[in-house]
Amino acid sequence: MAREHDSRQAVPNTPGMRPDSDGVTRRRPLRRRHVEETVEIAVPVRTAYNQWTQFKTFPRFSGVVHGVEQVRPTVTAWTIGYGPLRRRFAVEIVEQDPDAYLAWRGLEQRPSHQGEVEFRPTASGGTAVTVRMLLEPRGAARRLTGFSRIAKVTARLVRRELENFKRFIEGLGQEGGAWRGTIRNGRVQHDHPEPPRSRVAQWPVG
Amino acid sequence: MQNPPGEEPETTLSVTPPKKWAAGVPAVVHALEYSLEQTSPRRTGVDLLAMNQVGGIDCPGCAWADPAPGQRHRNEYCENGAKHINDEATKRRITADFFREHSVSDLAARSDMWLNQQGRLTEPMIKRQGSDHYEPIGWNDALGVLAGELTSLASPDEAVFYTSGRASNEAAFVLQLFARAYGTNNLPDCSNMCHESSGVALSETLGTGKGTVSLDDLHHADLIFLVGQNPGTNHPRQLSALEEAKRNGARIVAVNPLPEAGLRRFKNPQKPSGVIGRGTQIADRFLHIKPGGDLALFQALNRLLLEAEDARPGTVLDHDFIDAHTAGFEEFAQHARTTDWDDVRAATGLTREEIEKVRDEVLRSERVIVCWAMGITQHKHGVPTIREIVNFMMLRGNLGRAGTGVCPVRGHSNVQGDRTMGIWEQMPDSFLDALQEEFGFDPPRPHGLDSVNAIKAMREGRVKVFLALAGNFVRAAPDSEVTEEAMRSCRLTAHISTKLNRSHTVCGETALILRTLGRTERDVQADGEPFVTVENSMSEVHTSQGRLEPASHLLLSEVAILCRLARRTLAGKPDIPWDRFEGDYDTIRDHISRIVPGFHDFNARVTRPVGFQLPNPVNEGVYNTSVGKALFTRNERVVPKAPEGHLLLQTLRSHDQWNTIPYTLDDRYRGIHGSRHVVLVNPADVAGLGLAQGDRVDLVSVWADGTERRARNFEVVPYPAARGSAAAYYPETNVLVPLDSVADISNQPTSKGIVVRLEPTSDRAAPTTA
Repeated sequence: MAREHDSRQAVPNTPGMRPDSDGVTRRRPLRRRHVEETVEIAVPVRTAYNQWTQFKTFPRFSGVVHGVEQVRPTVTAWTIGYGPLRRRFAVEIVEQDPDAYLAWRGLEQRPSHQGEVEFRPTASGGTAVTVRMLLEPRGAARRLTGFSRIAKVTARLVRRELENFKRFIEGLGQEGGAWRGTIRNGRVQHDHPEPPRSRVAQWPVG
Repeated sequence: MQNPPGEEPETTLSVTPPKKWAAGVPAVVHALEYSLEQTSPRRTGVDLLAMNQVGGIDCPGCAWADPAPGQRHRNEYCENGAKHINDEATKRRITADFFREHSVSDLAARSDMWLNQQGRLTEPMIKRQGSDHYEPIGWNDALGVLAGELTSLASPDEAVFYTSGRASNEAAFVLQLFARAYGTNNLPDCSNMCHESSGVALSETLGTGKGTVSLDDLHHADLIFLVGQNPGTNHPRQLSALEEAKRNGARIVAVNPLPEAGLRRFKNPQKPSGVIGRGTQIADRFLHIKPGGDLALFQALNRLLLEAEDARPGTVLDHDFIDAHTAGFEEFAQHARTTDWDDVRAATGLTREEIEKVRDEVLRSERVIVCWAMGITQHKHGVPTIREIVNFMMLRGNLGRAGTGVCPVRGHSNVQGDRTMGIWEQMPDSFLDALQEEFGFDPPRPHGLDSVNAIKAMREGRVKVFLALAGNFVRAAPDSEVTEEAMRSCRLTAHISTKLNRSHTVCGETALILRTLGRTERDVQADGEPFVTVENSMSEVHTSQGRLEPASHLLLSEVAILCRLARRTLAGKPDIPWDRFEGDYDTIRDHISRIVPGFHDFNARVTRPVGFQLPNPVNEGVYNTSVGKALFTRNERVVPKAPEGHLLLQTLRSHDQWNTIPYTLDDRYRGIHGSRHVVLVNPADVAGLGLAQGDRVDLVSVWADGTERRARNFEVVPYPAARGSAAAYYPETNVLVPLDSVADISNQPTSKGIVVRLEPTSDRAAPTTA
């Protein structure tokens, strides 16, 4: 989010984009200080990816996620917390490629965070799921905790959540749903133009 | 509770400086004062604590969205919502004795405020042909009179079925089904008079008539425009969303001919900082624009953005979005570059520097939202203005991403849902085909009458029966004298109403008042206590269920009245299960789920705590326009002008008013107390016209037909209105809006930008309230 008196010009595209060899502009993978954790899961990439897109099911396996609202394909609102503490924040998915990649960023300013998850097939027919995440605390939290401490806590959390996800999808064996759309620069892309047309009223609302 | 007023209140105008902030403790005090005047502390507590809560009562006051269930306050309502709901929950009652005491002629001379203050209607009433009094009538006889008149018409198109935005989805669906089974598409609604221009412009350019933003988008925008909108009075809960956006770092640009208090600062009464602190500054930048200058403003901004791109290619416009998702850019850009700064200055009253500063705000912002209301839609060029806003949004790809989008802010709580349910005189064949398949009859295909055309048809004798599902059509409509003449020329007028209003007193030869349950009241049917559903301004569909004991055990629900009327009128042809509809609203929703796109599994999904969100194609990357892409448009320049000695008038609400109904004679935020017959004029214009504060004038509008339209006896109040403009309250000044003065394309009455002159009437006594 642009700052209140930031004299810089905001480029209309999402920051951190890069053009690929195929000419498509994609989000640049996180290069700066971030935590990175990988877990291998004994289900095919498609199964793992499909289940991951079912954000509302995260509370079923997560130790910290208490609820997820899917506002629309690119926006989710997460409620996380320990014990009686709860925090709700909105997240934007800025890029999503089926069976391959998903990148997000928090819409809150404080703390800001962004992340990405990659899905790669393994030689054994399973899936390597890698999560990279960058959390930038602001204000007092930033002053009281150095990056390394935050990174350690975040890494431990991400590791545990990935393992929870592994046990969940391996236990289920099959995904419980799927969203197979593509997102570029925070917008849903359609290979074919029709998907939701039949699902909404198309007459003018006065 | 206080007794209803016997006589009209005396008007004595006093003027204080306009407020610089909205809400705060005074909002709580005024809301409670009014509520306790109307009803008991217990009823006040029950309905306020149920308001806008999960499973509670959807506030009929406005269509603003509710926060997610875990995020709602225990008191999730605003001052005006609290007043509105307790205005309905009042313990005052109108009995048959009242109508014996007051003739229809007597009531027609009363003010809107006095009529409303008399209380709730408790039984059906009829004014028979030739009589000047309403008298009680049983439900069967009342519906028999109406059905008999409908069946006697030479053509179904001699009847009109009007809907106000208070009606639930279920009632609206049943009404349109009845009207079409009866044989007509004459389904005007209040949308015709508020946001028709939005629906037309957005449908053409984006392929959806609805706004594209959610509360989460507003909370996370970088820059929010509030254009032609007064959230402090008309959508106070929007201020909480703006406060959250500001907390997240958003900037706000307000564009308005009046520096409204709610655009300046908000003291949230639910927070300590709002009670004892300074609250939150809302607008970081205020553009004091002339009425109708918004089109020129956005054209100027678009020119500046194009020039910024020329100076720094690839850094300003979102070429990926423009190339992939839009059409018409080149033609638009060519036209936008010709925008003339002298025209912009004349149309807006703003300097180029002021507009360039806004451009800089835009360039610093990655996520932009534009909100607007009737300060845009009610101009003759409302549709082009909204198209130009869409152009502005598309240049930098501010559509379809989080924190971006267009936000027409609607007023009545279910005005959007009623249209979704088919209350429209031009429904497409896809909807009519679905009705035919579901119910086995062939709905009429020719388009019906909207509000303006319905008035014309009544006046010309082509419409003989007028039925209104809620609302106060006579006072909401333009050209009051013409509208009243039209209503009086009907053979029968019938209103499904909770409270008395002027539409009951300006009526046809025969008139019916069909008293109905309010939103706040328990509705008990054969199958239990049903809930109804509504759709808010952000396309969220959820339930509403009343909690209070009804004003009378003889009241019928809106659905019940319509179903019984349909049974009496249609006599089983076509075979539609009206009795099941009345007894179990689930069955209505089952049919809706098979007819209205987006409502599949309606009953199951709507009973979730959050209800469900209708998808918005724009947010899913789909543009249902004529070419399958979002359309840039080329809009001709408009420079609104008033001849020498004239002003451009906008009609507006006072703060203490809900739609056509004033609750008091005060307008607290604008510093107007004790009278509504005021005209707010810039001090320089007051002097230029040779007037002074307190002078009495008639407002006379100028229109091509040469007819003199006059609003009598207003007091001049110097006020920081934009130069060359004036503002006065509606419905008192609706008389000045010619019926033929409509917005291009949308046919929406132009209640803004009316050319008026102020004729001194120094010999007059103080204004009266009527």
